[in-house]
Amino acid sequence: MALLSDSDRQTITKHLAPISKQVDLVLFTQTIGGSESGLIAKQVAGEVASLHDKIAVVEKSFVLDIEDRAKYGVEKIPALVVLADGADTRIRFYGANTGYEFVSLIEAVLLAGTGNLELEPETLTALAAVDKPLHIQVFSTPT
Amino acid sequence: MAYANPNITADAVDAQEFMDLSRRYRVTGVPKTIVNETIEIMGGLPEPEFVEAVLQPFDAPRL
Repeated sequence: MALLSDSDRQTITKHLAPISKQVDLVLFTQTIGGSESGLIAKQVAGEVASLHDKIAVVEKSFVLDIEDRAKYGVEKIPALVVLADGADTRIRFYGANTGYEFVSLIEAVLLAGTGNLELEPETLTALAAVDKPLHIQVFSTPT
Repeated sequence: MAYANPNITADAVDAQEFMDLSRRYRVTGVPKTIVNETIEIMGGLPEPEFVEAVLQPFDAPRL
């Protein structure tokens, strides 16, 4: 059964229409011993990818694809890494990506696919000065 | 923010799925933001305040 209603699909498809870059959603899960949230994350990613021909899901095994885990710094699953034209956006989603996180995922996909940052000029100036690693973790819940 | 600077990585974490992390960072309400494991930001803030909080000095004591 689809997670998105027909109405939601139409609304989000329209929202994602400006996408021109290839957006890859690299999904790390574990087939054996994995949690149910991994299955939901896979379904969510698949339904998002079905909304635009420039969006694709790239499945990776948390157990077998060790090099990719290291490349993207993935240490827990389910994990979803957002790529723009093959380049790492350094945006990750950990969990099933339902509820509020789904909205954030859609916005991240739109950003990756368009390159349009909707930040204030002052913010961009401040961020440009960051010259050492900055790791931001935002905790939220599905509801 | 991560998209704007290659030094920045941004994770959206499901607090219920990753309870060990939630306990580690004392996530008792959401959204809660942790920066470099040292800075805690509770709730949603307007963009200027959020940026100011995120870009605090990074040498604060570890949680």
